[in-house]
Amino acid sequence: MKKFLVILATVLAGVLVVGGIGAVSSISQEEPPVLAATLDGTTMDTPNNGTLPHATLDLSVYPNSSDAVPPPKAGPYESAWLSGQPFYHPSTTIQVPANSVVTINFTQYDSGGQIYNPFFAHVHGSMDGTMTWNGKSVKNVKSDSVGHTFTVHQYPESSQPYFFLSVPLPMNAANAKTDKAGYPVDPQKISVTFVTGEAGTYVWNCEFPCGDEYQEFGGPMQTRGWMAGTFEVVA
Amino acid sequence: MTMTQAPQEQPESPTNRPPSMHRFKNWMRRPYARHVMIWTVVIGFLLLPLCWLLLAAMNQTGAPASEIMQDIETTVFVFTLVSIPITAFVFAVLLYSLIGWKRISSDEPPMQENPAIFTNRIGVVLWTVVTSALAMFLVVWGMIELAQITANSYGTISANEQPGGNQSVIVNVTGQQWVWTFAYPQTDGLVSDILYLPVDKPVYFNVTSKDVIHNFWAVELGVKIDANPGAVTTAGVTPNKLGTFNIRCAELCGMHHAYMETEVRVVTQEQFDSWVREMGGRRTS
Amino acid sequence: MSSVAPAHVHSAEVPQPAQHGKPGGIMRRLNFGTGLIGGIGLAIIAGVVTSQFVPSGYASPVTFAPMEGEYVYLAVLLGWVIGFMAGMGAFVGPIRWMLGRESTHLDAEYMAGKDLGRSRYWKYTTDHKVVGIQYLIVTFIVFGFGGLLAMLIRTELGATWTEVFSPAFYNSIIGTHGIAMIIAMIIAVSGPLGNFIVPMMIGARDMAYPRLNALSIWLLVAAVPCLISSLFLGGIQDGWSAYQPLASQAPIGMLGYQMTIIVFAISTGIASVNLMTTILTMRAKGMSWSRTPIFVYGIFAASLMGLYAFPFYQYSQILSLSDRVFNTSFFNPLEGGSVWLYENLFWLLGHPEVYVIIIPTAAVLMEILPVFMRKPLFSFNFAVAGIVGVVALSGLVWAHHMYMTGWAPAVNYPFMLSTEMISIPVGFLVLVVIGTLWRGTSWSRLPLMAVYAVVFNKMIGGVTGIYLSDVPADQYFHGSMFVVAHFHYMLMGAGFFGAMGGIAFYFPKMTGKILDERYGSIGLWTVFVGFQLTFGSMFVAGLQGQPRRVLQFDEQFDISNWISTIGAYTIGVGTLIFLGAIIFSWRDGPMVSGNPWASKSLEWQTPTPVPLENFAVLPVVTERPYNYGVPDPYDEELRAHDGDELESAGAR
Repeated sequence: MKKFLVILATVLAGVLVVGGIGAVSSISQEEPPVLAATLDGTTMDTPNNGTLPHATLDLSVYPNSSDAVPPPKAGPYESAWLSGQPFYHPSTTIQVPANSVVTINFTQYDSGGQIYNPFFAHVHGSMDGTMTWNGKSVKNVKSDSVGHTFTVHQYPESSQPYFFLSVPLPMNAANAKTDKAGYPVDPQKISVTFVTGEAGTYVWNCEFPCGDEYQEFGGPMQTRGWMAGTFEVVA
Repeated sequence: MTMTQAPQEQPESPTNRPPSMHRFKNWMRRPYARHVMIWTVVIGFLLLPLCWLLLAAMNQTGAPASEIMQDIETTVFVFTLVSIPITAFVFAVLLYSLIGWKRISSDEPPMQENPAIFTNRIGVVLWTVVTSALAMFLVVWGMIELAQITANSYGTISANEQPGGNQSVIVNVTGQQWVWTFAYPQTDGLVSDILYLPVDKPVYFNVTSKDVIHNFWAVELGVKIDANPGAVTTAGVTPNKLGTFNIRCAELCGMHHAYMETEVRVVTQEQFDSWVREMGGRRTS
Repeated sequence: MSSVAPAHVHSAEVPQPAQHGKPGGIMRRLNFGTGLIGGIGLAIIAGVVTSQFVPSGYASPVTFAPMEGEYVYLAVLLGWVIGFMAGMGAFVGPIRWMLGRESTHLDAEYMAGKDLGRSRYWKYTTDHKVVGIQYLIVTFIVFGFGGLLAMLIRTELGATWTEVFSPAFYNSIIGTHGIAMIIAMIIAVSGPLGNFIVPMMIGARDMAYPRLNALSIWLLVAAVPCLISSLFLGGIQDGWSAYQPLASQAPIGMLGYQMTIIVFAISTGIASVNLMTTILTMRAKGMSWSRTPIFVYGIFAASLMGLYAFPFYQYSQILSLSDRVFNTSFFNPLEGGSVWLYENLFWLLGHPEVYVIIIPTAAVLMEILPVFMRKPLFSFNFAVAGIVGVVALSGLVWAHHMYMTGWAPAVNYPFMLSTEMISIPVGFLVLVVIGTLWRGTSWSRLPLMAVYAVVFNKMIGGVTGIYLSDVPADQYFHGSMFVVAHFHYMLMGAGFFGAMGGIAFYFPKMTGKILDERYGSIGLWTVFVGFQLTFGSMFVAGLQGQPRRVLQFDEQFDISNWISTIGAYTIGVGTLIFLGAIIFSWRDGPMVSGNPWASKSLEWQTPTPVPLENFAVLPVVTERPYNYGVPDPYDEELRAHDGDELESAGAR
């Protein structure tokens, strides 16, 4: 009997330790709160899918955190390691409605430079292949003046529709006038409109080397909540 | 433990030694020998369906979609077939040792009296010869297959130097954290995130990476090659089946490695040409 | 412990150096606690000093990474290792020697833990038996750490509808799980059994370099916190192979991994030298090579492979660290380096290393079998040939891990040849095992059950390895879960079960108690069933096309992963049961005699607990090992004596 109790105690202790560590890790790594696109009641015509309801979403990109704009929530190590790094605000967990036309309005406060792969200096996946940049309709930005990109790509799930959206966000000039917090007073404003299909889960990340470490693709580029996140199309 | 000296072996002249078949038949008269042989055959037959089951698992998403994938599947089939005899024999001995030669479970050492077999020359030689022969067969088979696949994929010649010109499609595959992009140099600057290929035409891939090591894996086409930064690796294939297949990244490349998936759509030549036009490219070569 | 008068071979008294103070000197005060104080203290000092020297906010001109954290972390790790070893007293010997003070016989006895009771396990003790137990405990700890991570990994993979952990954390735990398990499996048999058993098995009193015994175990202990610390600093988000250039993009936890390996490689190198010298020079009188037990061959082979392979690993990590911290570009292709260089350096270790894991466990099986079958080992010479063949070929196969890298497609052919050829000597070992099972009524006890589990798993692992050795097949399987299942079958299926069998076998000698039969076997078979479920269905996932190191995958792989996760939880429960059985038996089990298995091998001829000097009189060996069994009733055809005389008695 005593043997059995020792065995039982060992098994239970092990399960508790594993379960506890797992639960704590999982909870501490939760994605940032959901940022959902809101239907604004209008509809839009699409080239191939008829008339669909329209929704909008606002996103900003900041070069670093400040008193005015707090950094994303992160553990102690990440907060220290990524302080001073750019991030998307207010959240990187994006949700858009299915079978709709969605417009995302970006406000880009960061500077930039040469992008490695010119493919991402072009717009891909929007409704008509263009984006609106400070009021003008363009298909791409110059590959040496990209600030960040917003690139949504595939989740390994073949039962959901293929979805690819990539928007280059042009940089602010190095000598742009900045306000008290250090952000340009006149940031870049970009809008992109695209059509969503059936429900599905995707991920997105920035494809411009705005981090650090090797090829500047480390740091915030490899951290959810900063320069990468999830993109969900919900029914 | 005392033991008497081994009795002198009889002289090895042919007249005294029974012929081999006779010795083998004598050996087979022993009950355990027959049983183990029978069990080997039975287990072998039980394992045989694996040859087809392995292929069924590989073909769940539309494979094989090229000659290369077909060759790979044939290789898997043959390897399974060739491995079955030895595996079945080992399993048969394991099983028979538990059931046939039996076990004693006691707390004190039972001191059961087992025959002191220090070695068995025939067994050792037979095992060495059979396993070596099987291994050599597999090596030779593998090398021939590899040569064939290399020829089919034009593997060692850079894609841009391939003969054929008009008759082939060249794709520059760039892996970047964490998206695949495909450039078609023959179409005046067309770059896409989905790989469109015309059926039954050879395709040559120039594969590279912009940052870390990725691995370009067109699963059902049987193409797999590392995408290294600072270098261009090549692969080639001729897709022979229409459909949509998977391209995955098979080398850990950072946070979104799992999401570095895209599609390869093998379409007819007309559909391919109209897709090229839609994307704003034109055939230049 | 009664004192043992050493046998006086010569009549002249050897003049002893003068005894300075109490035996042991400063070693009397040094133990694990002072080691911790020294390590943590020097780590803090080093960190603070370094942070003063590095300008705040200094960023690398090449990668713009903030370098202060890297330098400080590196200094902290170095400070920890050096401080810990100093606090343990590792430098005392060399310093004393430099001061001209020889250690006396009493000093050496103190260092060996004479009359120290339990506290000798917490000190820098040179007695190989103490070091063996210390290795056993460290193995449990590292294996437990790796197992915990495995449960987390399988939870993530089983929860196919969501992401339990973030992708960065998941990448980190798979890498940490890999390296923790690799370390645990490398030391699992060579550590406890190599240190505790081998000297007794060859009839020696201790190892050739007793102080190196202690050095190797405490260096290993120093390396473990380096690995654990990495998890809190972003983790090693690169897999245990830590490929560059991805390792230069990872958070600073990567430095923890690199330091762990650098220190671990030193520890293993020292242990290898120690074991090899002991085996070469300290075998008992009359123990010729044909009378040396096969386990000794196995440990020797593993040590030899470890000795030539681990420096590659250490070197690759030093260069990797230098790329990260000192902005060199060995592996940065955009600045003239080569990624293939890293891959080659890594796999030059990576392949022999799996044989360092497998050969000792195979050798332990071949040690267990004759005892429980009461038959000689089948064809001892063939087993030796198998081990020698594996060692010879082990250094010639590494690039089969690089078939798909495009490094040098022309060399795929010779590597395919050498890799398929290495399956032949491994097959020799399988034949030896089944030949020993042949026609034997077995004494069915826990160590023998492990043998069955190992052979079954090894066949599956070996056959699937043959697929992977073939370049065309590898073109589909490389980087998929098929590879993961294959190496788990080999390293865990053969390695872990073999370690369980070896520990169960030598438990009476190492602890004086016998491992509880019922719960030990329940644990073993629970792990076995869970193991088949987990990795059998993982083969299916790989065949279907699931890549490795991914936390989300297509729904066609869902079922395989659910089954694997259930199997993994079963493994976890089974391992805990086995651990519980060990705990219970160690603490409260009945004491057993010195030779409960009635083995004829030298290590079992010592009393339990084993006295400090192992043998009162050093034994002389007159017969070959595994001299069990009775004359074969099927006399004429199967009696072949290899030309050796069969003597009856021999001095034990």
